[in-house]
Amino acid sequence: MTPHQTRNILICSGKGGVGKTTLTANLGIALARQGVRTAVLDADFGLRNLDLLLGLENRIVFTAQEVLAGSCRLEQALVKHKQEPNLALLPAGNPRMLEWLKPEDMQAIVAMLAPSFDVVLIDCPAGIEDGFKNAVSAAQEAIVITTPEVSAVRDADRVIGLLNTHGIKPIQLVLNRVRPKMMANQEMLSVNDVTDILALPLLGLVVEDEQVIVSTNRGEPLTLGGSRSPAALAYSNVARRLQGEDVPLPDPAKMGRGLRAKLSRLIKTKIF
Amino acid sequence: MASQLLLATAASQPHRLSLAAAASATGSLVAEVGYALGALPPRGEWLSEELVLATGDWPLTVADLRELEPLLLRRGLRLVRVEAPAPEALVAAASLGVVTQLQRPGDGAGAAAHEPTAPTEPQGLGLTIHQGTLRSGDHLQVEGSVLLLGDVNPGARISAAGDVRVWGRLRGVAHAGCQGNHQARIVAMQLRPLQLRIAEAVARGPEDLPPRGYAEQALLVDGAIAIEPAEPIWGLPD
Ligand SMILES: Nc1ncnc2c1ncn2[C@@H]1O[C@H](COP(=O)(O)OP(=O)(O)O)[C@@H](O)[C@H]1O
Ligand SMILES: [Mg+2]
Repeated sequence: MTPHQTRNILICSGKGGVGKTTLTANLGIALARQGVRTAVLDADFGLRNLDLLLGLENRIVFTAQEVLAGSCRLEQALVKHKQEPNLALLPAGNPRMLEWLKPEDMQAIVAMLAPSFDVVLIDCPAGIEDGFKNAVSAAQEAIVITTPEVSAVRDADRVIGLLNTHGIKPIQLVLNRVRPKMMANQEMLSVNDVTDILALPLLGLVVEDEQVIVSTNRGEPLTLGGSRSPAALAYSNVARRLQGEDVPLPDPAKMGRGLRAKLSRLIKTKIF
Repeated sequence: MASQLLLATAASQPHRLSLAAAASATGSLVAEVGYALGALPPRGEWLSEELVLATGDWPLTVADLRELEPLLLRRGLRLVRVEAPAPEALVAAASLGVVTQLQRPGDGAGAAAHEPTAPTEPQGLGLTIHQGTLRSGDHLQVEGSVLLLGDVNPGARISAAGDVRVWGRLRGVAHAGCQGNHQARIVAMQLRPLQLRIAEAVARGPEDLPPRGYAEQALLVDGAIAIEPAEPIWGLPD
């Protein structure tokens, strides 16, 4: 076997409820379907629900907590997904873990996962306190997810500043719950408005899609059934772009101020 | 004093060209550099391909730098650093990716000839140049004046005892003259802050869209903050 470098990718947002866990679950499944050995790590010990979204809640026996304490082996705690065996979940321990968990513990966990996985997705807690710092310490790259709302973008910006000081690279952006109509009517921040402030490469645009909520309640991520809903497609495109595939983003003319505004910007800022 | 060309004495060093005072020259900056480089020995007889340019009191624009490029290239030289006392010159160089350094009066051959002109600079504190965007939650605070090469995002703050100059978009909070200097001003390529403060005056940022294509400045007029097109007034001889 050739030696490989595991990518430890933090999924974070600053603000809560913008879609971190949903992205982690769907991206995890999408990557697994594309043949990538993927582990998802629930670092949101306070509000753990990654297991729920993946429909794996009732199969958890051990957690990261027991692994760290040495009372079980990593393989015993990892929960393999039924339909997508390339995907495994490492469940979070109980919320009390927050009190003693250290950055070294998170680093130890990802180091244990490295030999068996190509990608580790770390579902980060909201906020920028200890839980965030622990999660960051285990990652080399990050996906920042935000919705086109002023408060979410503001929090994302703060998080990006912190990621920069931690030397996290690359940092890419997923814009979630986009409503093209509202954008066209300028009732919502446009894609340009958001990328203008955050200045990150755009990894994906996920539209507002009720199928997301339906699938969440069923514990079957949208990407699992090969659904053709717009959000499912968006999530699997995120997975492909993450592997370096050049998948065009949806036509920005339909989403915001349009391609022309973007081009004229480029021309204006280019000096040579 | 004429322009001085100091040749590198080791391969790891750059050559250094300090321009004479602008007033003593007859041609343009590009002509002056060309003239001074005439003193270079033939190619192959010197050690370095790198050149540091100390502009003294010459104004230096992006156009000058682009004109300089082929001229240096022909002589096998590469501009690695610009040293200048004027923020405009530093900004022009930085915007083309050249490393910059603030030149203090007396540092170079040309600078000695001219008095420091920036009237709002608190004596001795000078100008701090900061590279990089300030993001939400960041606060950059400076004792003299500050030149930011980057944006000030919503939720970020920038404050200085002297001027606040933003080579980028100002969308957060800026405070110039934060120790009471009423002459201090705030300049930005795009001035759409959440809030502006000069000395003890406070104003909400304008709500309309910024005019495209020119920079704006905010300053105190009769105790109130006014916004107008920016004037390039610092550091340049009259
Ligand atoms: N693209 C989307 N369209 C519709 N609902 C969404 C979308 N993304 C997320 N949601 C919903 O938003 C809520 C919060 O999502 P979640 O992933 O739990 O956020 P976080 O982990 O950031 O707190 C959930 O109810 C989820 O179903
Ligand atoms: Mg969550």
